[in-house]
Amino acid sequence: MGSTQIEQVRQAVVDGKHNDIEGLVRAAIDDRIEVEQIINEGLIGAMDVVGSRFANSEIFVPEMLVSALTMKKGLAIVKPLLTETNTEPKGTILIGTVKGDLHDIGKNLVIMMLEGAGLNVVDLGVNLSVEKAVTKVEELKPDILGLSALLTTTMPEMQKVIKLLEDKGLRKSVKVMVGGAPLDRTFAEKIGADGYGKDAAEAVQLARTLMSQN
Amino acid sequence: MKSTPYSLVLSALYNGKKGTRPPAGNVTSIVCHDLMDATGISFPQAHLDPQAMADLALAGHEIIGFDTVMPEYSVHQEAAALGCDVDWGNRDQMPDSRNFPHEDFSDVTVPDNILEKPSMRVVLDALSILRRHVGGKVAIVGKVMGPWTISYHMAGTQNFLLHVGLGEKDKVTRMLRQVMPVTIAFARAQFQAGADVVVIADHATGNLVGSYHYKDLLLPIHQEITSTIEGPLILHVCGNCLDRLELFADAGFDAYHFEWQVDAKVAVEKVGQRLALIGNVNNSQVLYQGSPEAVRKQVRYAIEAGVNIIAPECAIPLATPIENLKALVEAVHEGY
Repeated sequence: MGSTQIEQVRQAVVDGKHNDIEGLVRAAIDDRIEVEQIINEGLIGAMDVVGSRFANSEIFVPEMLVSALTMKKGLAIVKPLLTETNTEPKGTILIGTVKGDLHDIGKNLVIMMLEGAGLNVVDLGVNLSVEKAVTKVEELKPDILGLSALLTTTMPEMQKVIKLLEDKGLRKSVKVMVGGAPLDRTFAEKIGADGYGKDAAEAVQLARTLMSQN
Repeated sequence: MKSTPYSLVLSALYNGKKGTRPPAGNVTSIVCHDLMDATGISFPQAHLDPQAMADLALAGHEIIGFDTVMPEYSVHQEAAALGCDVDWGNRDQMPDSRNFPHEDFSDVTVPDNILEKPSMRVVLDALSILRRHVGGKVAIVGKVMGPWTISYHMAGTQNFLLHVGLGEKDKVTRMLRQVMPVTIAFARAQFQAGADVVVIADHATGNLVGSYHYKDLLLPIHQEITSTIEGPLILHVCGNCLDRLELFADAGFDAYHFEWQVDAKVAVEKVGQRLALIGNVNNSQVLYQGSPEAVRKQVRYAIEAGVNIIAPECAIPLATPIENLKALVEAVHEGY
C-alpha cells in the first residue's frame, strides 16, 4: 500500500503533475507513511530521476521547472511536519550568480534540487559581488558556497571570491562548488574550487559528496 | 569570381562558387576590450550612438580583417522598444533588462512607430552609415531578435520556459505571434537601411529547450517569418542543436550560425546541402582562453569540414585577446 503511494508521489513529480501532488502527498500522510519516506523516496527520489533524464537530454528546462514546481508544492505540505519530528537539515549552502551576471535559471534549478535533497539553501541572488559573497560566508558559516556564471566574461569573478576567502582565512572552513554553461572541470580546478557540477543533478551529487567530507 | 569580402560572403551564403579562400564572418558581436581600446569607442556608447556603433563595426573589418561588418552588439534593442527598462551596461558588462513588462502574459501591443524608437533607429542609422562606407565591398550584416528571444524579455526567461513546460501552448503562441511583427518589420527595415543579410537570433537554445519544443511552438512561426522576409536570413541559435538542424532547414533559413558543440563535419553532412553553415570556433576555451595556434586548428578543421563562413560561435567574451581574432582571419587567408 505505502510503496504504491510513494511511487505515485514520485511519478507525479517526474511527470510534473503539479495539480495532483498536494492530494497525493496528503493521502500518503493520512495513511501514516513516514514523512521522511515521502520526502526521500517520493519527492527527492523523483528529482534524481528528473535530473538524470535532463542529463540524458530526454527532457529540458521547461519540464524540469514544472517538476521542481511540483516538488516544491509537495514539500510545502510535508515540511511543517518535518519540524515537528525535529529533523535537522543536512547542511547549509549559500549560492549565487557572480557579479556582472544576471542569469539565474541554472542557479534556481540547482537551488530547487538542493532543497529537495534536504539542504538548507540561502539564495544570494544574481550579480553577487566578491565582497558580499565573502561577508555572507563569514556571517552564516555555511558548509558550501556555490557560485554560478553563464557568461565567459564573468567566470573570473569566481576566482576572486576564492582568493578573498583565502586572504581572510576562511577558505578551509567552506567548500566551494562552481557551475554554469561556459565552465568545465579544468577551469574549476584551475581556480581552486572544490568541485564542478555540469548540471543540476550533478550539482546535488557534488553537494552530497562535499558535505560528507566536512 | 572576385574574391572581395562582399563577394566571398554572398557566394558562401548560397553555397556558391568558391573564391581564393573562405570568408571570415561575424554574425554576432566580436567587440572586445582590445577593439574598444584601438578605436576609443566603448560600451554603452556603441549601443546608443549610430556613428559609434558603425565605427566599432567597421573596426572589425579594418583592424581585425573580418569580411563582414555587424553593428548590433546587444540582444535588447527590441526589448527596449517594447518597454523593457534596459541597463545598457558598460565596458565590462553587456546590456540586460531590469524588468519583464509582460510577466503575466498580458497582451503585447507593438507601437506603430516602433522602428523610430531610439534603440531601433540607432541600428538602422548605423547600417546606413556602413552602407555609405563599405557598401558592395564588405558584407553588411544586420541582426534582429526572433519572437522566442523577445518573449524571454517580455515574460522573463524562466517564467516563459515554465509556461512552455506547463503546456500552456495558447498563451505561449499568443505572445510569440504578438511579437513576431517586430522581428519582421525590423529585419525588413534593416535590409532597406543597407544590410546585405540579416541574422535572426532566436534562443530556443539546445540544452535549454528540446527539438520537440522547437518543432511544436517555433517552427511554424519561423516558416512564416522566412516566407515573409524577402532577403537572405541567417538563423542563430546557441547550444548543441544537433537534434534540430533539419528543422532549421525546414524553417526556410538560408544559413545557420552554430556552436562548436556541434561537430562541423556532422553538421555539414546533415544539412550542408540545404543550408549554408556559419561558425563554429569555440569562444570560451579557444578564442578567450586558448592560443592563436588553437584558434588556427579549429578554423582549419571547420574549413576542411565544409563550413561555408568561418566565425566565432557566438558573441565573444569582452576579454578575448585580439590576437586570437586575428588568428582566425589569418587561418582563413590560408585558403581552402
